[in-house]
Amino acid sequence: MSAQSYQLSDYLEKLPGTTFRKLYQQPSTAFAIFRRMLPPLAKIFVQGLLYMPAPLLLSQLDIWVKPEGKMSRDRALVILRSLHIINITPPGKDKPQEIHLTTNFKNSLRLALEGGGAHHSFGVPSTLAIDPTIDIAFLDRYARKKWEDILHYVVNSVGGEGSSGGSGAGPKASVKDLLLAGRLVERRGDTKTGIAITQAGFTFLLQEANAQVWTLLLLWLEAVDRSSANNSGLDSIDMLSFLFMLASLELGRAYDTSALTESRRNMLPSLVDFGLIYIPRDTRQYFPTRLATTLTSSASALRSVSSGFAAATADASADVTSIGATESPAKGSVIVETNYRLYAYTSSPLQIAVLALFATLTMRFPGMVTGRLTRDSIRRAISYGITADQIISYLAAHAHEQMARAAAAAGRPVLPPTVVDQIRLWQLENERMRTTAGFLFKDFDSVEEYVALSSYAEEIGVLEWKSDKKGLFFVSKYEQIRDYLKSRKSAK
Amino acid sequence: MPRAIRGVLIECEPAIKSIIVHLNSEHNDIIIEDLDESHLVVKENMVHLLKQKLEDRLKETYRPEEPLVDSE
Repeated sequence: MSAQSYQLSDYLEKLPGTTFRKLYQQPSTAFAIFRRMLPPLAKIFVQGLLYMPAPLLLSQLDIWVKPEGKMSRDRALVILRSLHIINITPPGKDKPQEIHLTTNFKNSLRLALEGGGAHHSFGVPSTLAIDPTIDIAFLDRYARKKWEDILHYVVNSVGGEGSSGGSGAGPKASVKDLLLAGRLVERRGDTKTGIAITQAGFTFLLQEANAQVWTLLLLWLEAVDRSSANNSGLDSIDMLSFLFMLASLELGRAYDTSALTESRRNMLPSLVDFGLIYIPRDTRQYFPTRLATTLTSSASALRSVSSGFAAATADASADVTSIGATESPAKGSVIVETNYRLYAYTSSPLQIAVLALFATLTMRFPGMVTGRLTRDSIRRAISYGITADQIISYLAAHAHEQMARAAAAAGRPVLPPTVVDQIRLWQLENERMRTTAGFLFKDFDSVEEYVALSSYAEEIGVLEWKSDKKGLFFVSKYEQIRDYLKSRKSAK
Repeated sequence: MPRAIRGVLIECEPAIKSIIVHLNSEHNDIIIEDLDESHLVVKENMVHLLKQKLEDRLKETYRPEEPLVDSE
């Protein structure tokens, strides 16, 4: 599938080392990267190296890892290197390879763990009086409304009957421009609203809320990067570290805007548009919302993938940390019958639009729609980049309580197995081929070179296909292989 | 020095592969490397077109279902 989901790790991977050095000057950034971006083994390495006074021999690191863990060791090192957290000296004839943490990262992470320093990296709480009506429930409602407006805007661009979106004016023009620039939606004359959702937009809709927020923020950073020539006064590196800082703030507390640099204050209006922060009128305070404070935690962010759509039907997932949890208790609304008929007790334009993505809706009543899952409707959904599993989990998560009750009584799964199987079969039918973009390596100087490179590619997890007989292999990424090839050449 | 060529790896059934090979034979502008009976590397910019052509080709063999009537 070519469906792209733009993620933080992809963005960071493309940044040069100098950018990382600047980013790691902030303890909150170093801490956020450590917390969010590293697999467990990489965290252990960092913790082990953090207070080591001198560089460690690479061969010593191997003692920490069981022989069968070599693959995860290599992957951890690759990640640490791509994030410029560690440095490994190049292999030389007389000197063994050494590993150490990069200076800025080491100092900042130590500061973050030990406290101290006047870096204001974790925000400055406001000393002014706080309006008592601004509590966590208020902030959750506010963030949710803002984010939903954005989702409504994307969904409604499908051109369903739910024309108004039901929640006011929708997102700000700047947000709309971002969605357009990020090709989550595109301008098209043949729809009522003048815009239409793209395949990337569908993938966006089905992402977890946390991933959605990052997708949008990264689009914003890129937009700033592009326009930095005509100086907008914003610097994407500083913006990124501000986002990491926001992520370290505490929900429900007020922070002081005057402690921020001017360029960061200039970011505030956009962050308000996204719903990441709330600024009361005429104060020098800002409140981070749950959208901001969960940016770098791996804990369930706001709403699960499926409940994101159902927010308007007050379908809160059982997850207490979700924004929806402040609303009425969980209540599904969709009934699926064994004959592929589908009934949904909802009047939410958002949910109806989502159902219309993969079902053929036939009738609409006040508070209810009926439709049918057909081969064509599923096929269409798959061509948008939605997977069968996403559809199935959506239906399961939104099953009407009547279905859950009947299923529990009879000891059957909630969704009719025939329907689930058929959706999967329809998907298989459409997946005639699996495509992976990458690089084909060929014309090796020797068999030995081929073996060394292909096994290295396998170790770092980028190998997609190989043929020992033909001496060819295909990888999804080639930068590390190029580096490895260079270091092999220079070692000789 | 080995060469790295940018492309898209396609994994598919042999039957589908033979269709792709056939499509390629018209202008010879799709396939970069024929790997084995179920794998090929094709040019990145041709993937979209290829999917479309494949879809057209397969439509010839696909019979649409009878539309079901919601009568009740």
